[in-house]
Amino acid sequence: MKWTVSDVDMYEKEKQYIDTALLPLVQLTLSNATKTAVAGGELVQLLASEVERQLKGRLFLLPPFTYFLTETKEECVKRLNVWTDELKKSGMAHVFYLTSDRMWNETELGGKLFVLPSIPLEHMDEVYQQQMVREQTSKLLSSFISHWT
Amino acid sequence: MSEKKHRVSRRQFLNYTLTGVGGFMAAGILMPMVRFALDPILREEEATEMVAVAQVKDITTEPQRFDFKVKVKDAWYEADEPKSAWVYKDEKGNIIALSPICKHLGCTVNWNADESHPNQFFCPCHYGRYTKDGTNVPGTPPLAPLDRYEYKVKDGKLYLGKAKPRGEA
Ligand code: FES
Repeated sequence: MKWTVSDVDMYEKEKQYIDTALLPLVQLTLSNATKTAVAGGELVQLLASEVERQLKGRLFLLPPFTYFLTETKEECVKRLNVWTDELKKSGMAHVFYLTSDRMWNETELGGKLFVLPSIPLEHMDEVYQQQMVREQTSKLLSSFISHWT
Repeated sequence: MSEKKHRVSRRQFLNYTLTGVGGFMAAGILMPMVRFALDPILREEEATEMVAVAQVKDITTEPQRFDFKVKVKDAWYEADEPKSAWVYKDEKGNIIALSPICKHLGCTVNWNADESHPNQFFCPCHYGRYTKDGTNVPGTPPLAPLDRYEYKVKDGKLYLGKAKPRGEA
C-alpha cells in the first residue's frame, strides 16, 4: 500500500497482515552531482512503486528517507536507524530499504538493504527501458519474497 | 420611470456577474453528476471499453500471464494503468481470463509458484491459494475466487474488458 489516505484505511483495518515497511533511501543535492542523484532517486522510486503494486497487501511503501549529500554518513546512519526503530515499534516486522547509493552498508543498519545497480535509463530507448525495469522488478520481487520466508 | 432608476449600480452589476459566474461553476460541477445519476447507459459505455491483449493462437491450457495497459482517468490526470491477466483454455476450449489481484489484500498472484502446491495460483503475501479456475482454497486467507475478465474474440485476438467477481462475468 501507499502513503495515501485511501490506503491508510486498509492499513488500520488489516494491520496484522501488513508487516513490511519499504523505505526508499534518496540522496539530495543541488551541486554538480545533481543529475546522478536525481537519476538514482528516480529509478529507486519507480521500482519501489512497481514492487508495491504487486505486493500491496503486505508492503507499506513509505515516503522516501532523504538526506543531503553534505550530511556525514554517521548522521545519516543514525537518523535512519531512529526511523527503523520507530517503524519496528509500530509493528513492522520487516524494514526494507531500497537505494542506488553505494554509501549504505547493511551491517550498520537495523533493516534489510537492497541496492540497485545504476542503470542509465535516460540513454535507452523506451522498449529497452521497460524491459530493464521489468527485469529489475522481478529480481526485487523474488528477493523480497525469499526474505519473507 | 426615470433613466436613473434603470441604471445598474456597481453593486448590482457585481451581483449579477457573480451569480452568473457562480451559476456557471455550479452547473459545471452538477452537470456530470446529474448526467451520471440520470443516465446509466453513459456509465455502461465507459465500462465496456476492451483492450486487445493476446493472439488467440498463443493461448494454451496452461495459464499464461499477459500484461496490458488501460487508460484510467481520475480527478487530476489521465494515465495508463498496467494490468495483467492469467489466461488459458479449459478442457471445453473456453477461454478463461483471470485477474491476478488477490482477493485478500490485493497482491499479485502467480501460477505454479509454490513448490508444495503445484498447479495452483499462489499469493506470496500471506500464502493465499486458488485452484486453476480461480476458486479460493479454503483455509488460506482469501475469501472469494479471483475475478474474471469479460472478454471477446475478434479477428484472432483476445480482447479483455473489466474484471468482475465470479458469477457476474
Ligand atoms: S494478499 Fe494474497 S493472501 Fe493476503
